[in-house]
Amino acid sequence: MRAPILFAVLLTTVAAPGLAQEPPSRPACAVTDDSSIPPELSGWKTRSPLAAAGTAGDVAKAALPIGQGVDATLKALADVAFPVLPAKPGGSVSYGGLYLLKIAQAGDYQVSLGTGAWIEVVRDKTLVESKAHGPGPACSSLKKTVVFPLKAGTYVLEITGNGEPTLALLVHRKG
Amino acid sequence: MKRALAAAALLAAALLSGAAAPTFDWKLPPGVAPPPVPADNPMSEAKVELGRRLFYDADLSVDGTLSCASCHEQHRGFAEGNATRPGVHGTPGRRNVMGLANVGYLTPLTWADPGQATLEAQFSTPVLGDTPIEMGMKGQDAELVRRLSADACYRRMFAAAFPGDREGVTVAKAAKAVAAFQRTLLSWDAPYDRYRRGEGAALSPPALAGLAVFEAKGCPSCHAGPNFTDGRFHAVAAPAGQDRGAVEKTANPADANSFRTASLRNAALTGPYLHDGRALTLGEAIVGHWGAGDGFASGELAALDAFLASLTDTSFVRNRRFALPKRFCGAPRRR
Repeated sequence: MRAPILFAVLLTTVAAPGLAQEPPSRPACAVTDDSSIPPELSGWKTRSPLAAAGTAGDVAKAALPIGQGVDATLKALADVAFPVLPAKPGGSVSYGGLYLLKIAQAGDYQVSLGTGAWIEVVRDKTLVESKAHGPGPACSSLKKTVVFPLKAGTYVLEITGNGEPTLALLVHRKG
Repeated sequence: MKRALAAAALLAAALLSGAAAPTFDWKLPPGVAPPPVPADNPMSEAKVELGRRLFYDADLSVDGTLSCASCHEQHRGFAEGNATRPGVHGTPGRRNVMGLANVGYLTPLTWADPGQATLEAQFSTPVLGDTPIEMGMKGQDAELVRRLSADACYRRMFAAAFPGDREGVTVAKAAKAVAAFQRTLLSWDAPYDRYRRGEGAALSPPALAGLAVFEAKGCPSCHAGPNFTDGRFHAVAAPAGQDRGAVEKTANPADANSFRTASLRNAALTGPYLHDGRALTLGEAIVGHWGAGDGFASGELAALDAFLASLTDTSFVRNRRFALPKRFCGAPRRR
């Protein structure tokens, strides 16, 4: 366009939070540095292993502690039966699994991930639409965050499309 | 002006007609010609169905984390919401993801490579390429074939898409199928399109005024034709970073910092904008063009805003024929 333009009406891009988890590009980091991870995510730095379930029937054995990070041990996708099919399926060579979320107090809950894996939160066979997403602190091991508004109750966290069989994972209540 | 636009559409239709397979139902509105189709990759419903499945299959990436649809999201006009998108290994993306509306009509296809002329050939850039690594399958052709061949439904879909070919699953056939699916990503039902087809009320008075502004200010000198791109490379924005544009491929100094004119179809959905996604809004993108700075009266800007919004085709971004399939070979998908 050749004409000079001063465009006062700025058109913003349309956000669809429930379908918008893809992470942006970041400059490559020579060293991983978690010092910039905020204090409310302190559970990220002290993680314990926790195996994912493959079916909804087994998910009670995989309850995620709120505020405490885990090193999720995922399953080959062929061994996972999702209660609700993820909006973005992982490949057959990727990993995934199911975790139980017991929410005692309604609020916004942030799921923090060490990769760009795709996640869904499901209740009664219905996906909960996320309300925000973003990257983790630059050069940290935290790569992706997704925030879901949750009421008190029980949910299933679905994970798919992780490139490795393990995944750093933390769910905490915001605010 | 309306007659001029109609004439341009007819000219485009005339130029493009004749190459499509006559038996394929493109589901086009009257008067719109289908995109050209290579003689060695005729369209068929079976091939499009296969290509659609492949488009959404993350097994096309080395670790199963990225599909074509990871970066080309339907609700964004098959563009992506970040400035650039990292590849499977976290390598930063280099250029903004372009939308795919009417991509079958466009050539060259990408921001800065005049040689990217067919969708079949372009398939290898994200899947097999390494500058930068996107899906990371370079040297993994056999692995890709193994993954797809392991699925009995895929074997049947390849056989149906390429009848008479006994070679089975190949990367080249996967590329052809994805290209065929992409050619069906047709967007001709924006309010602007309906206006061109004679629905005078499809464009609001502000949008009509915006169309006049768009023409009067010379925007169509580059954002030309039914898809609002002349398919040519222009240096319109200040250089930034290491990306030198088309000159990297042509070695012609005249191509320095030149990038292909972006289509404006569904522009309100396809941000951020410009080749590196530096512009978060259309306004920033316009201001980012060389020479921008002191142009429009406030009324003209509001009108132009309305016109650009009229290029959004909601039926395109909601069309289930373009969405992630729910069933393969008659059975519900399992992952």
